[in-house]
Amino acid sequence: MKEITLKHTLPKVFAQVADLQSEVWRHEVTFEKDRLYLVEANSGTGKSSLCSYIFGYRKDYEGQILFDGNDIARFSTSKWVRIRQTSLSLLWQELRLFPELTAMENVIIKNKLTNHQSQQQIETWFDQLGIADRMNAKIGRMSFGQQQRVALIRALCQPFDFIFVDEPISHLDDTNSRIVGELLMSEAHRQGAGVIVTSIGKHIELNYDKVLKL
Amino acid sequence: MNLVWKLLRQHISIPQFVGFFVANLVGMTIIMLGIQFYTDTQAIYETEDSFMKADYLIINKKISSMTTITGKSSAFTLPEVQDLESQEFVERLGTFTSSVFDVRASIRLDEKTSFSTEMFFESVPDEFVDVKSEEWNYEQGSREVPIILPRNYLDLYNFGYAQSRNMPKLSEGILSAISLKIELSGGGMRDEYEGRIVGFSSRLNTILVPQVFMDWANEYYAGTKTKSPTRLIVEVNNPTDERITTYLQDNSYETDKDKLDASKQTFLLRIIVAIVMAVGLVISILAFYILMLSVYLLVEKNSTKLENLLLIGYSPSKVSMPYQLLTIGLNLLVLVIAFVTMMLVRNVYMEMFESFFPNFETPSVMPAILTGAALFVVVSIFNVIAIKSKVMSIWKRKD
Repeated sequence: MKEITLKHTLPKVFAQVADLQSEVWRHEVTFEKDRLYLVEANSGTGKSSLCSYIFGYRKDYEGQILFDGNDIARFSTSKWVRIRQTSLSLLWQELRLFPELTAMENVIIKNKLTNHQSQQQIETWFDQLGIADRMNAKIGRMSFGQQQRVALIRALCQPFDFIFVDEPISHLDDTNSRIVGELLMSEAHRQGAGVIVTSIGKHIELNYDKVLKL
Repeated sequence: MNLVWKLLRQHISIPQFVGFFVANLVGMTIIMLGIQFYTDTQAIYETEDSFMKADYLIINKKISSMTTITGKSSAFTLPEVQDLESQEFVERLGTFTSSVFDVRASIRLDEKTSFSTEMFFESVPDEFVDVKSEEWNYEQGSREVPIILPRNYLDLYNFGYAQSRNMPKLSEGILSAISLKIELSGGGMRDEYEGRIVGFSSRLNTILVPQVFMDWANEYYAGTKTKSPTRLIVEVNNPTDERITTYLQDNSYETDKDKLDASKQTFLLRIIVAIVMAVGLVISILAFYILMLSVYLLVEKNSTKLENLLLIGYSPSKVSMPYQLLTIGLNLLVLVIAFVTMMLVRNVYMEMFESFFPNFETPSVMPAILTGAALFVVVSIFNVIAIKSKVMSIWKRKD
């Protein structure tokens, strides 16, 4: 996948809003590979909706979303499964980790599906992010900041053309935010992938190619 | 352990699954046992000359003093036969053909003893003959004629004549080995044939020869093929049908009442087996319902986990599989245990059967296995589809 295009896309709930001030909704926006985007938003402007639409999780929008010119509304189940395994990675704001599993198991359950990273690489990431000692702790017993880092590692355990990170550092200190930024960018560069970071205030300090106001 | 399974086994309710397991086991066992019991009893009906196979009625006109005096014919006319055949309770109808030539038979038992007697032959269409024997046919030109005797004759000889005269008793086997000398005459011709007893019938109280032989011999010795039958054999679909009794009374026909009673027993047995199987089926359906409810509840309780698995790239098929395998495994276990239970119960009643009917051939268990397997396949397919569609509803997620 080379580009993601939003063509006059608008969440249905905003249909009645007359003075919508946005550089994304109702516009034509294209995200390209190997570029870094920041989507800034205020609460309630549809940031998580945007991620859900692009990930094929929700369909309550008007307009079109195109992957390389193909309307995603017509994608089959098996195509979405393939995209989610090989082209598109998403770090959900609400993380979507499994509280019954340990931190490591939460990563392994994804990596087993894609066989993308080595066990050693995963352990190195845990170490870099300062949660190596929490590897075998149940997710339910970890702080949200720790969970965010586990979710990031999981998001990196697959090949991708684009990675969406929805408020990845909302609960992290500056040092950890920096490490998350470095990790994310080095993995994205290695794969030549496009990165879309969303934020409602605090955001990772990176050299963004484009900043969009949602 | 498989991580997906570790996640999805959360909320599995053991009591619910035990409930399904027991209920389905009971249902499945009843169905399989019912079918097996039916197959086994069916084999008794089909055992040579069984008392139970009696959906056949032999009908004749009542013979009263008046008929004897007036000489009124006791034969059935063609319209009468057709009328009977058109009745709803009649499945098939066959007529008895009597010989219109003279028959004389002699049998030599030893040097001193021989019998010789005037007699007659009758025939019915082959499908009504209850003695299944490969020898039951006649090829034109052959001098050997197969004969079936009523079982009563043998009993009469063994327990009456032989007993009082201190004569040797005869078994069916011995009699089958003895040849009868038969002399047929008519139309100025006289020929000798060799009669071979191929069986004894309880259903047909007459001396039977194959229909083909009778047709040929009547034509050959008497120049006539048909003579109005005096007795009819009728296969009925339900011997308890009241219309039969009414019809027979209205037309002054008679039938063997014992046969009617035996028929009723057979019919009742079949109904009981059918009812028992229906109960088994209902239990199985309810068990299936319990299972589906449990699985639905399980999917519902684990819907967040399922959704997250789908979102991190698991396909709906892969996510459905643990639950599908779980239900298939349970169904299979039920099938195996039901089969074992059925075989145990069967062993008990088969011992009784074999002591009642020594030449009873043990029928195959295939019908029961096939039914059980078919049920297993159908139920499993339903389970698999239902689980997949439930997971798909999570995938599609109504916004």
